Amino acid sequence: MTMHRLLARQIRQATDESGQVDLTRLGELVSAAYEESDSDRRRTDRAIKLMIEELEQTHRRAEQDSLRAREFLDSIIENIPIAVFAKDAKDSRYVLLNRAGEEYYGMPREEMLGKTPEQLFPRDIARIVNEQDRRVVDSGTPMFLEGHLLEVGLNGHDRLVNSRKLLVRDGNGAPQYLVGVIEDVTERITNEARISHLAHHDALTDLPNRSAFNAALDERLERAQEASTSFAVLSLDLDRFKEVNDVFGHPVGDMLMRAAADRLATEADCAFVARIGGDEFMILMPDEARRADVLALAERLVEVIGKELEVDDYLSQVGVSVGIAVYPDDGADAATLLANADSALYRAKREGRGRVCFFESEMDRELRDRRLLQHDLRQALEQNQLLVYFQPQARMDGEIIGFEALLRWNHPTRGFVPPDQFIPLAEENGLIIQIGEWVLREACREAASWPRPLQVAVNLSPVQFQAGDLERSIHQILLETGLSPTRLEVEITEGVLIGDFARALNLLRRLKALGIRIAMDDFGTGYSSLSYLQSFPFDKIKIDRSFISNLEATPQSAEIVRAVLSLAHALNIPVVAEGVETEAQRAFLAREACEEMQGYLVGRPDLIERYLDLVGVAVERRLYA
Amino acid sequence: MHIQYLHWNAAHGWRGANALREPAQLVLYFGGREKLAGGERYRELRGLYPDSHIVGCSTGGQIHGDDIADDEVVAVALCFARTQVRLVEEVIESREASRACGARLARQVMAEDLAGLFVLSDGLTVNGGALLAGITEVLGSDLLVTGGLAGDGTQFEQTLVGADGEPSPNRVAAIGFYGASFRFAHGCAGGWDVFGPRRKVTKSEGPVVVELDGEPPLNLYTRYLGDEEAAAMPGSGLAFPLRIHDEAEPDRQIVRSVFAVDRNAGTLTFAADIPEGCTAQLMRANFDSLAAGAGEAGRQARNALPDGIEGDKLAILVSCTGRRRVMGQRTQDELDAVAAELGDDVVRIGFYSYGEIAPPAATGRCELHNQTMTVTMIAEAAA
Repeated sequence: MTMHRLLARQIRQATDESGQVDLTRLGELVSAAYEESDSDRRRTDRAIKLMIEELEQTHRRAEQDSLRAREFLDSIIENIPIAVFAKDAKDSRYVLLNRAGEEYYGMPREEMLGKTPEQLFPRDIARIVNEQDRRVVDSGTPMFLEGHLLEVGLNGHDRLVNSRKLLVRDGNGAPQYLVGVIEDVTERITNEARISHLAHHDALTDLPNRSAFNAALDERLERAQEASTSFAVLSLDLDRFKEVNDVFGHPVGDMLMRAAADRLATEADCAFVARIGGDEFMILMPDEARRADVLALAERLVEVIGKELEVDDYLSQVGVSVGIAVYPDDGADAATLLANADSALYRAKREGRGRVCFFESEMDRELRDRRLLQHDLRQALEQNQLLVYFQPQARMDGEIIGFEALLRWNHPTRGFVPPDQFIPLAEENGLIIQIGEWVLREACREAASWPRPLQVAVNLSPVQFQAGDLERSIHQILLETGLSPTRLEVEITEGVLIGDFARALNLLRRLKALGIRIAMDDFGTGYSSLSYLQSFPFDKIKIDRSFISNLEATPQSAEIVRAVLSLAHALNIPVVAEGVETEAQRAFLAREACEEMQGYLVGRPDLIERYLDLVGVAVERRLYA
Repeated sequence: MHIQYLHWNAAHGWRGANALREPAQLVLYFGGREKLAGGERYRELRGLYPDSHIVGCSTGGQIHGDDIADDEVVAVALCFARTQVRLVEEVIESREASRACGARLARQVMAEDLAGLFVLSDGLTVNGGALLAGITEVLGSDLLVTGGLAGDGTQFEQTLVGADGEPSPNRVAAIGFYGASFRFAHGCAGGWDVFGPRRKVTKSEGPVVVELDGEPPLNLYTRYLGDEEAAAMPGSGLAFPLRIHDEAEPDRQIVRSVFAVDRNAGTLTFAADIPEGCTAQLMRANFDSLAAGAGEAGRQARNALPDGIEGDKLAILVSCTGRRRVMGQRTQDELDAVAAELGDDVVRIGFYSYGEIAPPAATGRCELHNQTMTVTMIAEAAA
């Protein structure tokens, strides 16, 4: 018999040295061992019971946690605006569909879940869907289709979607589910197209823009070089558009621009028409268009643009000037072609607007010459090439009352450059501010030296009004020269008031407050808006020379002069007639009660030295000055 | 090395065999707190070994050979041929000073040829984990450190350590062994299995666990032990140690048992810090698994001891009081299991402790353990 190790030990412990077993002791040991075993068993049982309870609790908690996590994920899937579905990988039966999916398929999930594509969709669509599903299941690689048209669904067939299908495997790696995601990307793709359109089109007219034109020109050049063909480039500029914009405001200007662009595009429908900025357009003619055809089109464009346009109750009229350059005669690359079309345009505008000009190499020279002149002008001031001429102004009875200061440029090699050539150049590059200030200072200094307190009139350019601190510089010059402000008269044209009307008006009021007189120059040309006369108390109106020189030739001119005079008189504004050259003109004006005159009849513009007697300088000064 | 084995009982006083031919360098003794208190046993040993270092501690039962003795005091006198021994001691003022105390001890024993360190520490005042951290901080983690925390049966009132003096509380002794011939090997295993759900240490303050899964930990132990046994906490709590798993140190699997209870707060104090946020899982064992664990420790120690040993071999068995409490009369089984692994040629002595010191097999870093059997083998290599 094999005895339990513990019992053997207990017997050993209960046996004394003589080999006698102490049964009481043995009993105690055995009993204690039972007690130990019992309590160990109780503890174990208790632990197992508690452990089971605890594990059950833990399991329940874990289940609840996982349920919550599932609900959380479900609510995300349910609410994302992307259609999500899952299908059984074996037979493509739908097992999950979210709300966006219901909308996409156009049916509630109750109708879809548990069904195969064949049971749900028309046969041809079910076949496509099944083929895709099998491909994903067999290959194990996800499918991704971008921007394709809807195959099914109620949203209509004009929607574009991105769709994706991927395989989900079970724990053993066998195909279990196909998960699909369908995203409606119609808006995105439309937006992308719109953005791309915006990048290449002008927002106002929807015509191609400068960058689109450049791309088209490059492409055309490349093709023309390969095929040895020729084509024409038209550069167009709307005449008087800026004024319309300024007078009627931008909303009307915009409408006019759209209407003009529309007319251009319609008339030149065979060509590539682009708006390249402001009031400029370019047209790329088809290949091999004959010169005559190009000219004919350009003239038609001038005609249609020139027709009156009724925009928002405003009747408006703009014109267009056209410059034409032809590849390859007028340039073999884009830069040359465009520059030459531009110089043809410049020539057209200079010749009187509403014109069409082909590029001629002479124009090229003219353009370069213009640049050269602009360059020289910068040095003119420093090198004392500029002069101030004075032209007398008189009452109708011949009494001299003042002088108009006039700028002249004596170019070292060209001689006298006409003011209408160089003043626009100075206005273009801003040099007019410096030059204008110089003229003002010279005129004031001169006038201040005259013994007789005659008037001196100085022209101010619109550019001077827009930039710099005109008020301060005039004030400064008066202080410097000591000329009384009441002797200074500044002449402005309508151009000063066009643009920032409020600012110009404010400035004029401040000048007038100094005691300076303000004259409205060139009245009768341009818009001659009567509102200007209403908005500011001008001290004088100058009738443009064109009306005076036509007094005898055209009866209308006389009527206009009469009308201006009676208007001015009604407003209590004295009038100066410019360009009076004959006694007959003087007599007419005197009859009509014109107050003052200026012109060859009184005296030509010249250096003041010629008029020293008129300003009261004695002959001595003339000799020793 | 030669070993003289001695034991004391009230009837016969000290008795021993195989008197040493040379004077012993070191005498180790273990006994119950009542037997050691007062210093009588130490003075008797001092009379027997006037020139030796004499170091001992109170226990939860002494191991000598195959037996457990509660009424006897057991001792070994060791006579090394080529090994030097240094004994150092520190008084530990407070639990918080544990790490500094460890560092001070280590600095005293530190030497080029230090070959091993055996530590006997107070089992209640000391934060064993911090003490070892202090030691390792100075000596590095390569030096093998083993030992144990003194015990006080299942009373948890006072533990004593004496180093060349009368055993008294709040002391830590360390024995440094020096020289190339010294052989030091160890094994460490438990035999416990985790059971039940993982719990989170939701609040702790150093070694005091304040909340486990948001409730006082005493509640958990009371549920598992039943009201009757729970009344015997902390002793009865030894049946259910905790396995601590800290995410910050995933390789470290530490077993901790309760050694103090605050019944009002419902908190439990463990032998070392239990970081807040770590996972704790209850453990349990049966007689057979504990015995098997002890056998495993013996096997590790025996395998770690190299060949070429000259003279006697000593195995110091430090086993946890908790194990003894669970096993009762079957405690003998774990001693038998160790003996079977170690073989007949090893002298075995040891004690039941409040904590075991040894590097676990997994990390090799010296740690404080609870609920394990650790076996430290001491021998000398042939010249």
